[in-house]
Amino acid sequence: MPQVSPDPRLEQLLQHPSLWRGRSIAPQPVVATGFAALDQALPGGGWPQRGLSEILTAHQGLGELQLWLPALAQLTSAASARWCAFISPPFQLFAPAFASAGVRLDRLLIVRPPQPLWATEQALRSGACDLVLSWVAQASVPELRRLALATEQGLSAGVLFRPAAAGRDSSPAALRLLVQAQPGGLQLRVLKSRGAAQPVINLTLPA
Amino acid sequence: MKRHSRTAALFDALQAPLPPRLPPSPHIESPVRVAARQLWAAVRLQPVPDAAGLQRQAGRALHYSSRVSLAAPDIVLLEVRGSLRLFGGLGSLLAQLRGHFHQVGVVSMAPTALAAVALARSGQRAALTDAQRLVSRLAPLSLACLGWSAQSLARLAAVGVVTVGEALRLPRAGFAQRFGHTLLDDLDRLVGRRPDPRVPFVPVERFAVRFEPSYEMTGNTALLRELQPHLLALQQFLLQRQRGITALLLSLEHRQHVATRIVLRLAVPEHCAQRLSSLLAERLRQVVLPAPVRRCGLRCGPLLEAASDSAGLWQAGEQGGGASAQMPAFLENLRVRLGAESVHGLSVSPDHRPEHISRVAEPLMQALAVRRAAAVSMPWAPGRRPLWLLPVPQLLEQDASGWPLCALQRLQLLAGPERLETGWWDGADIQRDYYVAADASGARLWVYRQREGQRRWFLHGPFG
Repeated sequence: MPQVSPDPRLEQLLQHPSLWRGRSIAPQPVVATGFAALDQALPGGGWPQRGLSEILTAHQGLGELQLWLPALAQLTSAASARWCAFISPPFQLFAPAFASAGVRLDRLLIVRPPQPLWATEQALRSGACDLVLSWVAQASVPELRRLALATEQGLSAGVLFRPAAAGRDSSPAALRLLVQAQPGGLQLRVLKSRGAAQPVINLTLPA
Repeated sequence: MKRHSRTAALFDALQAPLPPRLPPSPHIESPVRVAARQLWAAVRLQPVPDAAGLQRQAGRALHYSSRVSLAAPDIVLLEVRGSLRLFGGLGSLLAQLRGHFHQVGVVSMAPTALAAVALARSGQRAALTDAQRLVSRLAPLSLACLGWSAQSLARLAAVGVVTVGEALRLPRAGFAQRFGHTLLDDLDRLVGRRPDPRVPFVPVERFAVRFEPSYEMTGNTALLRELQPHLLALQQFLLQRQRGITALLLSLEHRQHVATRIVLRLAVPEHCAQRLSSLLAERLRQVVLPAPVRRCGLRCGPLLEAASDSAGLWQAGEQGGGASAQMPAFLENLRVRLGAESVHGLSVSPDHRPEHISRVAEPLMQALAVRRAAAVSMPWAPGRRPLWLLPVPQLLEQDASGWPLCALQRLQLLAGPERLETGWWDGADIQRDYYVAADASGARLWVYRQREGQRRWFLHGPFG
């Protein structure tokens, strides 16, 4: 939006410390995504390191996990790295791919619980995890809200991989991305973000 | 110049003869005198007990002396010189010892530990107190009672030496040269010419308590309330010893049914009653009691060194603060509720077969910095590996020309083939050509074609 308001009274009002606008929210800590196009498009320049993100896909395994791979490598190789937990992943994790991407395997934790929501909340709240990747098909708004609060308590980042149909429901997540495969890469649509983001991002994945 | 002179000085110092060894201090008692002041009782247990049985008997022996040690597999040794007066003299003590152990073994006494062992092993119920008569008393015993190896005994027998007396008569230098210093040292310890320090037996301490609640309990809340004072006692017990436990057994006895046993296992030694109580509560929530509880038993596993950490300045995750304190607790919470096998780590094993590379591993507790050096060595070429693997490869349909289909659409092969032909040594051999394929939506898949048989196509994992 262009800067309108030559009115000095409005300017004066906007200077008031208790008033803030969407574009000037406090910067959240982020971790670089490892994809230049994505870093530019997302608010803050990376994946949020606190709070909940949602990745919505039509079906599993079309490339959505690769989006997080560079961030995983960066988080796990930090000196004070905590765990990166995978809660109910849909398939087996293939260790060599992670290792060759620079991910420290001994910082990965795989949990296969009967109730993924409970384990996700535990992981987010405990303070023992940097990142919790969770495959939750069904979650109501109060449950998601609970997870979002848990991320604040444990200073962690939660990523929920959910079916594309869940995009129609509202969600307290800080970032919601709809991921679609396209030849040579991925197309991401930002459904929701905290701060201004580019609405559609086309990503080329390395061959 | 200065440097040169210093080197020269060092050189001289190295060349100089060593100073003479210090003369023995008059304050250190000679071994013989020490032996004269000691009196060892050896209890030989029959039949030979298992390790736990030996520990149990050693625990009983602590009644007579604070200096108890074990000589595996069947001997409990007690130093009883200090206990003589307490138990009313030698005769009385010996009678009490024999009375105490008469069902399980032979009790012998001698001024040296090894002599007592030798007398007990040769079945002699002797009580030898006089160090001067030691050699003459031991001389007729067979060398077999010293517990030497069969090979050494055979070599000694070959030169006609079968008794202790014959071995003691041999010249020392020659004996050491032909049969080794260890055997000579044993002989010296036997007659008290060498000190014979023994590792003291430390009884295994366990916290164990059984209690009967005033009423038969059905609910878990009531059970936890009854357990609380005992958990606090356990905490006190552990704190006094600066120890922690990693295993706790709770057994709940019912009137008619088999007792319910709940075993709690922890990732790191723990002593906090509150934490144990919350973990037990979590476990009890999953247990369905077959009947009301009449009696409870609480028993802890071995006591372990408890790592006491200072609290961190930063909260975990704040300012890059690590989470070494939170990580074990988090893991325990998960495992208590989900079972140990539902929570695991990941590791790589050196194999080319995709099914075998990725391994389940125990999650690592320590901070990362500890194991910085442990880098993963990868035998495979980097890249072109999917993040996901299907537990079982999925058979793909084929069209008339043998081209693989996925959801009735032809797959597009982007890269490959990469041939994997290995594993013949353990029966799980594979002969496959792997390709990177893309399905109609553009998602990338890792597929392979068998190189033998029907040459069918399989999907092994999406790239994710």
